[in-house]
Amino acid sequence: MVEFERVTFSYDVAEVLHEISFVLNQGEIVGLLGPNGAGKSTTIKIIAGILAPRAGAVRVAGMPLPERAVDVKQRIGYVPESAVLFESLTGQEFLELSGRLHGVGEDTLQMRIASILETFNLASDRVSRLDSYSKGMRQKILIAAALLHNPDLILLDEPLSGLDVNAAIMIKDLIAALASDGKTILYSSHVLDVVEKVCDRVLIIHEGKLIADGTSDSLKASTRQDTLEDVFRMLTHTDAVEPGVARIVAALRTQRP
Amino acid sequence: MKAAFWRLVRRLLRGPRVSRALGSLGIDARRYWLLIDLFGTISERREMFSQLGTDGLSLQFAAWLYAIFSALMSLLLIMVGKSVVVYFWAFLAFTAFLMLTILFSETSNSLVNPVEGLVLAHQPINGATYTAAKLTHLLRILLYLVPGLNIVPALAGLIFTDSRWFYPLVHMLAAFVVGLLVALLCCAVFGWLVRFVPPNRLKAIGQVAETLPWLGYLVLQFSRELRQHIHAPAWLLADTTLRRTLAVGFGVLSVAIVVLGLRCLSADYLVRVASIVHGGSGRKSKVRRSRLSDLVARFFGGPASRAGFEYTSRLMIRDWQFRRQMIPMIPVALVPAALLATGWRISPFSGKFTGMHVMPHIFGILLFLICTVLVYGSDHKAAWLFLLAPAGAYGRFAKGVYARLWFVFAIVPHVALILVLPWLWGIRDAGLFVAYSLAAVSFYLGLELRLVDGLPFSKQAEPTRSPVSQLLMFAGGIVIAIAVGVQFFLVFRSPVVVVAVTLALAASAYLVTRRGLETFEVAIRFNLGLLSMETKGIYTEVQ
Repeated sequence: MVEFERVTFSYDVAEVLHEISFVLNQGEIVGLLGPNGAGKSTTIKIIAGILAPRAGAVRVAGMPLPERAVDVKQRIGYVPESAVLFESLTGQEFLELSGRLHGVGEDTLQMRIASILETFNLASDRVSRLDSYSKGMRQKILIAAALLHNPDLILLDEPLSGLDVNAAIMIKDLIAALASDGKTILYSSHVLDVVEKVCDRVLIIHEGKLIADGTSDSLKASTRQDTLEDVFRMLTHTDAVEPGVARIVAALRTQRP
Repeated sequence: MKAAFWRLVRRLLRGPRVSRALGSLGIDARRYWLLIDLFGTISERREMFSQLGTDGLSLQFAAWLYAIFSALMSLLLIMVGKSVVVYFWAFLAFTAFLMLTILFSETSNSLVNPVEGLVLAHQPINGATYTAAKLTHLLRILLYLVPGLNIVPALAGLIFTDSRWFYPLVHMLAAFVVGLLVALLCCAVFGWLVRFVPPNRLKAIGQVAETLPWLGYLVLQFSRELRQHIHAPAWLLADTTLRRTLAVGFGVLSVAIVVLGLRCLSADYLVRVASIVHGGSGRKSKVRRSRLSDLVARFFGGPASRAGFEYTSRLMIRDWQFRRQMIPMIPVALVPAALLATGWRISPFSGKFTGMHVMPHIFGILLFLICTVLVYGSDHKAAWLFLLAPAGAYGRFAKGVYARLWFVFAIVPHVALILVLPWLWGIRDAGLFVAYSLAAVSFYLGLELRLVDGLPFSKQAEPTRSPVSQLLMFAGGIVIAIAVGVQFFLVFRSPVVVVAVTLALAASAYLVTRRGLETFEVAIRFNLGLLSMETKGIYTEVQ
């Protein structure tokens, strides 16, 4: 479904991704992990056709990016990391806009909006403006907008951010159900136990390089660690956090004139 | 009846014929109209002023103001008694210049700061459709402002004896054509920039491009020699065929530049949006501790005043929206230098009127402009941070902001003057003038602090503010003209009077500044109070 071949990307002079290669197969749920600034969101934006790589090749469903970005966008659903929305629109209006831009027929669109909003407990807030929504409600709207046109590839960048426990459980179940329906899902998150439970395969990016690609079990076995969190800490060299914590506490206790 | 008319227009515009025509230009008609509706809705709901363009109400207000202004101008030209041809070209040139400055700014704002583009970047919209929708939305400015500027002059043109009955039609048609050409030119320029400038540098380069019409105007205004040397060579005037060929060639080249520029704009704009919006974020600055802010912290009220001082210093340079609003003020900012260049040899005590008499007041105007826009910023949502500050900090923070403005616009230029002027005028004249000017500028700043309508850089830009500021400036200009007259005829006649007036101004500046700081603090508290009550979004940021 997605072929990422020796992709390099840079903002200005700082290289964010360096010759990254991986493949996402149809019906697969792949977790994308990495510390802050590793390049996870950039990777997702490149697949979504929002950023163009500096070097390398990206193909989604056989279509090259960015040349066929419009066709690719028609087949993907994307939940961005930050909830940027048109805040003066209502939830209903925003979803209608998103569905219509994807060419969903009006009757189908209204049926899907009603169904998704009902499931997300947003039916009574559908005519309220988005600037009155809480962070979790906005996140639900973003997820709904990403699913409305029944995409083949779903890109989720921190989708559980701000969601309550019930909604988070539902999204996890929804991801599994969508994958069993043949959809490919790329799931970026910092919540490692969720990734471990939900994903078939895990990619770990560190300092713009792909440092691990495999199933959770194979990664644990190859690094001789018990949990995915231990694997992550070992590979990204974040195992020594205690000295850093002690340094912060010491700085807070210090008073200078 | 009116509603039925607009329904008919809407049906015709969105019908199959127009769709086919749009399709032949590579524009997806269905998505184009969806975007037009979206931009219309969020503009009228007053969202994203700072990114999307102006709403109908603000445009109506601006159009009325321009109508009044152009009526006065046409009255003046009719009284001067020039021919209708001169009158026609004068208004056409005026329309072209004004549209160039307004549309350059609006196009830059809309294309180079496209936050709404981020929301739409992953939607299946091709570049041509998105660009066409955005430009159509911007063209509303023409539909409001061109009639505002020209309808009264077009009708008044009939007063000229050498004009014909159809003059108003010709005038209006020409004005619209000029406006449209200017709009296409602006878009083409940004098309070239989007194509060839790296996305992360586009915002900065776009702002440089915005300054060009103003800089061109200034060069022509202040360089008499340059104007005298601009004339066509004799060989060109003699050869009519060559002239025509050159004119045709220039026309073809211009059309090619505009068409190719527009094509560049529509090619891959949405792929570049994310990089454009985050442009410059990779830049690193040094960690340094300023001795000046140490002094501000010591004398103006501790860490909170240092915070105000540093915050204002940094954001006045880095805030995109603030910098953008300062661009039309470049002529005012350059006027002190121009005045210094024209009047630096003659002492203001010589009895002759020189540019130096006006200088303190020009700083007053500059501070007026800064104080009116200081409250607007790109990252206004970050104002939540100030909701968490202890109540007592706001007054000291306000003093820090004041210290920054006073230092940059009063202390620095006057220190520079006191180093130069004694060599030219003698110590007494220079010392008295600098002391007087410093007191006057401080007085202006104390007075104008009241115009800072809340926490600096904490509101999104308001298009309705601009015409109001222009009215205030107009009134302020009259007051300043009177003040300059009084100063010239009564004050700079005797050193003793200058000393007395300087002392009075300094004392008034002190009192006015104290009151101004109190008002400024109240404005900050009020502004933050409104934010905490009205803006749910701000709490969403906190969450």
